[in-house]
Amino acid sequence: MNIIRNYIYQGKNLFRDGTFLFWAMVYPIILAFFFNLAFSSMMNVNFDDIQVGIEENNYIFPILEEIEFINIHKITQDQVDEKLFNEEIDAFVDSDLHLTVKKSGIRQTIIKEVVEQIKQTVKLNRPIDGTEFSVNYVAGKNQESNSVIIIFYSLIAMVSTYGVFAGIETASLMQANLSNLGLRINATPLKKQNFLIAGVIVSLLLNLLANTGLLLFINYVLKIHLFTNIAYSLIFIILGNLLGVILGIFIGVSNKKSPNVKTAIAISLTLFLSFLSGMMGPWIKAIIEKYAPFLNRINPISIITNNLYRINLLGNTKSLGEGIAVLLIYSMVLLIGSYVFLRRKSYDSI
Amino acid sequence: MVVKVKNVVKRYEEKIALDHFNMEVNEGEILGLLGPNGCGKTTAINCILSLLKFDKGEIQVFGRKMTPNSYDIKRQIGLVPQEVSVFENLTVKENIDYFCGLYIDDKNTRRQYVEEAIEFVGLKDYVRFYPRKLSGGLKRRLNIACGIVHKPKLIFLDEPTVAVDAQSRNFILEGIKKLNREGSTVIYTTHYLEEAEMLCNRIIIMDNGKDIASGTIEELKAMITTSEKIVIRFVNIEDEVINKMYKIPHVIDIERNGEDFIIKFENGINNLSNLLSFIAEYNLTYIKLYSQLPTLNDVFLELTGKELRD
Repeated sequence: MNIIRNYIYQGKNLFRDGTFLFWAMVYPIILAFFFNLAFSSMMNVNFDDIQVGIEENNYIFPILEEIEFINIHKITQDQVDEKLFNEEIDAFVDSDLHLTVKKSGIRQTIIKEVVEQIKQTVKLNRPIDGTEFSVNYVAGKNQESNSVIIIFYSLIAMVSTYGVFAGIETASLMQANLSNLGLRINATPLKKQNFLIAGVIVSLLLNLLANTGLLLFINYVLKIHLFTNIAYSLIFIILGNLLGVILGIFIGVSNKKSPNVKTAIAISLTLFLSFLSGMMGPWIKAIIEKYAPFLNRINPISIITNNLYRINLLGNTKSLGEGIAVLLIYSMVLLIGSYVFLRRKSYDSI
Repeated sequence: MVVKVKNVVKRYEEKIALDHFNMEVNEGEILGLLGPNGCGKTTAINCILSLLKFDKGEIQVFGRKMTPNSYDIKRQIGLVPQEVSVFENLTVKENIDYFCGLYIDDKNTRRQYVEEAIEFVGLKDYVRFYPRKLSGGLKRRLNIACGIVHKPKLIFLDEPTVAVDAQSRNFILEGIKKLNREGSTVIYTTHYLEEAEMLCNRIIIMDNGKDIASGTIEELKAMITTSEKIVIRFVNIEDEVINKMYKIPHVIDIERNGEDFIIKFENGINNLSNLLSFIAEYNLTYIKLYSQLPTLNDVFLELTGKELRD
């Protein structure tokens, strides 16, 4: 058979499948939309102009004045309460370098850390000029506040594995004992491996298309810019897709449950793993990291989430090998497991 | 010989689905596999197509052993499964084209075959429809088109008219005859007696996984003792007179069906005139009288002890 035709028709069949369209394309966008509604206030903190009150004769006045993201207010001790109350300043630095604040928050924490850094530098008699505050503090605090962004990385990790639905569909069409169509296809001269390869490629491409849709939505509609290193990020997204499709094929061929039950298994599994990876709140991830860190090392969605975070927010592209290896091992194990079921040519019962 | 099935046994755990089943199909014939639901007809087809493992026996198709990898043999076979088995998300034309493409590589030939199949099953007005938009009868026609589009030498039709309206049923049956006229050998499973009588050159009667009889319709009818049935409704008759009717030559049984009596005769001549003489002798009055030749149901009844009703 013309292989390309097989790809086209399998692609058409999958692309028009309501279950696939909803779970792979619509559902992630709905989730992203609601996550954005829920967490946007936490993500939209602007650190560019942190307002700091200070007396003009304070010796760190000229140092703070040089820091780009700090806006200096020359005030006297008498004005502090009023300025803080009116929220004209985020904090006041006195002559002993103590902070007076009205409330604690990320801005106040940044000021505190900047002041602490100045204190230490002065104590060490090192030149203040050599300290790059924007890198050490603002970038750091942005990342900290953007721990909420983990939710979005986790969401992307989850939907990258949503090739699982296409995998289930492909498996169902390949096995004579799983569907009527599978029976018919098994009676034709189409070789199973050709159908499988077409199914995997089509599933990967369509799910990547669905992922692209989600990323464009997050980037251009929600205006959350998640990626600074697309190439490395793509490696993990593609590996997630590969794992998802093969997981789907494994779920599809390993049992004779109905397609709806198999879909439910896939949704539950991916949702649970995403939950553990911090999709419902970064605190879950923190708890797991504290009490059962190995879970984060073996949970494939955590692996993808962590690596997307490291690549794009920490700029760390070293030590990605472990994550890649674990994802590939999962894929290989599931592929071998699927093969055990798929190699059956005739069936005991249909 | 197109298909040869010899002593095939297929077990589902304790249940025997095929019990030393035998079947031979000659080129150019329409062979009917007739039997009640669950008698093993579909299992037999699935074993022949090597979709199901069987425990014992031998199956040959086109003179060669059939295996799951017999792609050359599969290329010459068309299957119309019992359940409608098409892609729900492909249109009528796309479905037919997809299945045709599994057999036919040449683009022009494929295009021609697809058009012919659409014409053949009368779905020209529905080519852009998705299967879910089609009625049950039209879906069945699509199911058939997908199985025959590549003009196979051997076609398996597994109860293609189940739950089909009369119009579509006639359309399908006429289509099968046409396929046969065009050179295809057809294996047709059904539990509809009149379909088997109308369509098949030869019939294998199945029950409990066994082939209990095979032959042409005439040969099958000749296997049973009843050669004629006369149905009569008397105005009034006493039991004593009924008992005396057994003395009419060749009468083997008398059944009462409501107000009617069904008098069965074994091979013999002048059965009707003998009955009329009896009626005149006893001065009986009747309001209905007709003669029937035995049906396949009578054959099935006599061979299995149970009826095969539509």
